Amino acid sequence: MSISNLLENWSKFRHTHPVDDKPHDPYKWAMSIDLDACSGCNACSVACYAENNLPVVGKEKYAHGQVMHWMRIEHYWDEDVGEEGGREFPDQGAQFLPMMCQQCEAAPCETVCPVGATNHTEDGLNSQIYNRCIGSRYCSANCPYKVRYFNWFNYPTTDNVWPAEMVQQLNPDVTVRGKGVMEKCTFCVQRLRAAEVTAKSEGRLVHDGEVQTACQQACPTSAISFGNLVDQESRVHRQWRAQQVELDKDKQAKDDHEEPSELRGYRILENMRPYPSVMYLERVRESAI
Amino acid sequence: MKDIREDIAWAKINQDVLKSLENPRKLYWVILFVAIAMLGVALGCEVYQYNVGMGVSNMDNPHMWGLYIASFIFWIGMSHSGTLLSAILHLMHADWRKPIYRFAEAMTTFSLMTAGLFVAVHLGRVWQIYYALPYPNERGAWPNFQSPLLWDAMAIFTYLSSSIIFLYVGMIPDLAICRDRMHEGWRKKLYTLLSLGWEGTDRQWRNFRVTYLTVACFLIPLAVSVHSIVASDFGMSQQPGWHITSFPPYFVAGALYSGCAAIITLFIILRYVFRFEEYMTLPILKKIVRLTFAIAMVWTYLNAVEFASVWYSHDQASKDVLIQKASGTYAPFWWGMIFCGSVVPLTLAFKRIQTNIPVLFAVSLLLNLGMWLERWMIVAPTFSHGIYPWTWDHDQWPSFVQWGMVFGSFGWFTLLFMVFCKVFPSVSMYEVKEMVYHRSQESKRLEETGKFAAAGKGAH
Amino acid sequence: MSQRHLLALYSNFNEAEAVVEELRSTQIKGFDVDKDLIVKSPIEHPEVEEFLGDKPVRVQWFTLGGALMGGLLGFFLISAAQGNFYAQFKGGKPIVPFPPNFVLTYEMFILGGVFITVLGFLICAGLPARRSPLYSANVSEDQIGILVKSDESAANTLKAIFTKHHALEIQEEAGR
Repeated sequence: MSISNLLENWSKFRHTHPVDDKPHDPYKWAMSIDLDACSGCNACSVACYAENNLPVVGKEKYAHGQVMHWMRIEHYWDEDVGEEGGREFPDQGAQFLPMMCQQCEAAPCETVCPVGATNHTEDGLNSQIYNRCIGSRYCSANCPYKVRYFNWFNYPTTDNVWPAEMVQQLNPDVTVRGKGVMEKCTFCVQRLRAAEVTAKSEGRLVHDGEVQTACQQACPTSAISFGNLVDQESRVHRQWRAQQVELDKDKQAKDDHEEPSELRGYRILENMRPYPSVMYLERVRESAI
Repeated sequence: MKDIREDIAWAKINQDVLKSLENPRKLYWVILFVAIAMLGVALGCEVYQYNVGMGVSNMDNPHMWGLYIASFIFWIGMSHSGTLLSAILHLMHADWRKPIYRFAEAMTTFSLMTAGLFVAVHLGRVWQIYYALPYPNERGAWPNFQSPLLWDAMAIFTYLSSSIIFLYVGMIPDLAICRDRMHEGWRKKLYTLLSLGWEGTDRQWRNFRVTYLTVACFLIPLAVSVHSIVASDFGMSQQPGWHITSFPPYFVAGALYSGCAAIITLFIILRYVFRFEEYMTLPILKKIVRLTFAIAMVWTYLNAVEFASVWYSHDQASKDVLIQKASGTYAPFWWGMIFCGSVVPLTLAFKRIQTNIPVLFAVSLLLNLGMWLERWMIVAPTFSHGIYPWTWDHDQWPSFVQWGMVFGSFGWFTLLFMVFCKVFPSVSMYEVKEMVYHRSQESKRLEETGKFAAAGKGAH
Repeated sequence: MSQRHLLALYSNFNEAEAVVEELRSTQIKGFDVDKDLIVKSPIEHPEVEEFLGDKPVRVQWFTLGGALMGGLLGFFLISAAQGNFYAQFKGGKPIVPFPPNFVLTYEMFILGGVFITVLGFLICAGLPARRSPLYSANVSEDQIGILVKSDESAANTLKAIFTKHHALEIQEEAGR
């Protein structure tokens, strides 16, 4: 009976997140990306295309903004080119920022979906249920990072998205999405689930390094580290701790100090309180190139 | 000048209004055909979009919403003044609403029906639209009640069904008139069925009065809540240019505004086509025009409040969106909105214009153009200049599919409205009789007490 | 004793009122003014209610019931649905969040109110109704009708009263 179920679990149903009593246990997947190490080579993006069956939309649609890159490398340039004391060429001030779904703890996209197609999972991911999605695109409208990608066309049946022989390389663990649904970075959830299940059957937890995301695996400079934030020994946990970045804060304590600090860790748009699960390490080098 | 002649014979009222139900002229069929053709354009676009995918609308990342949502708000907004005339003015005992509220209510219903279609057209997977309905199912899956879109669905369902009921209940006595006056045929059968055996007995009238009043009381907060909820679609989000506290009242004012402008347009058309000069009189037109002017100023004020509060805030992203609206790609449309929405209505302040039908017709169309632009300017610029810089250097223009759908929606609305006008009386006969009766009683009483001469001068 | 229906038409409310007053003050055997009299008018006219005396209207009770039912049903349906949906967090908000539920409860309150009010109207006004035995299309135009039901014996007295007050037309029919 639904009402009795409701009353029984009342406290559970009134629980808020992530600034409350119950942290994720035993898994909270998180990432940290060292921008100092990032060379903007796009290997992560390519790996993501291969791993997650992303459609290759072609030049025209790319230019149109209908591209499907879950993991994108953003280019930014310093604007002091030609000014006095400024740079000679714009590329000198180039910076790269790998951007993908930040798997927010309090994701703005989740509340607005009319059908509940996107939810927060037990292990701290922002999940997307393709079958449930009706394509209202409200999630993307409300995403501060604009990292959600919509299937504007039916890519599986579109020419040249996956030429005949390429179909053979589609990842069988990942569905191929049809038109009209929203999709986004999943932190390679298919790998996480496989690792979690294996570990569970062996009666243990997933160790650090046992599971890698495709982008992490492909990164030549190891700029991306990924792991379980709950695990005190994991590399990600140690990095977050070293940088004094806490998951459930909208303003880190270290940022209150006026004096310059050695700490490089920050999260993007933290002040909007989405509580993202990706920490970036600020660039120290003068230029990426 | 009086709102209505007090000595119109009741039989003449019946006769005049029923004349509007007679077989239409040739021009009617021509316009109807044009409306259907317009609808056909939209249908064609929808079939194309359905088969190929949403991409044909030219939307992209980050421009996820476009003209569909803008037109959706426009049509919802238009529906609000029907309620204003029929419910708010009813409670305020403003009896000049009586000759004109019926078509305004029909307008409410039909513009809601048009708005509902835009939701469907907007969806990427319209064939799964039922996922958004709260119905028990074996999957144990419910819609997400936290989403403002779901509140929208609920509010629109409530509003549409309540408006249809309100329109119908208010029409029962008139349907009985039609039943009594029509010759045998399908019309007579239809009216006999719909009038539910109404005979105007004292018991029927007694319950009718209370019901009408009660439903009117419900409709007012409902109408306000509907457009506040539409505003929540934007206000509840985190995006700059949308996340504004004054949005709900701003949207409601905008809704009443565009609705009143549409009422002026339809008033002029019906008055001319059906020769309703006796009922849709110039003094009544003057009253709506003044009402429109007042609402236009409220809208202008709320607009200014929005700009000012963004300007004086420390929210740089919102400021950037505002600057971009005024100077970026959308600048011509944004300034067009300001011109049509805030400058054009200033002409309505002049007495001579308040009864000048050709000018009013043009002004009312311009006002609605302004209000359509307003909705577009709410939806689109936020996408091209959001919080996140990666999305900034990318412009997008709606494709012919989107424009075709907007174009077709006017055909759909015209089609519904024209059919309504020929099947149902677009002026409420029994209420015009009431108005005439009560006003003549009033004058008689004044005459008896000798105050007539004094009051007659000051009244209008 | 067999029954008879009479319908008299008047051109204005004053005459109709006078007729009702007279019917009320005259004792006629086989005719009860409170039960057997129906006034039909083309417009809703508060004075008719006045001269007919207080008759109760019960639509408001339907409204009250409907609105409360709608609101309660709305709140519990929504909360129960949320509690039974795969209990997953959305945006860090509670699984049963109050503010959105209040919005929806409000809508359901109005929905219930409107629907049940109209249902109440149909019940209280007896619609859809079987057409009464005597009816004139003039009632829907500009005349006031007074429909009475009486025993055969009283018919002539009633007719006399109707004629006295300048009835435009009197229809009669032997009733059931």
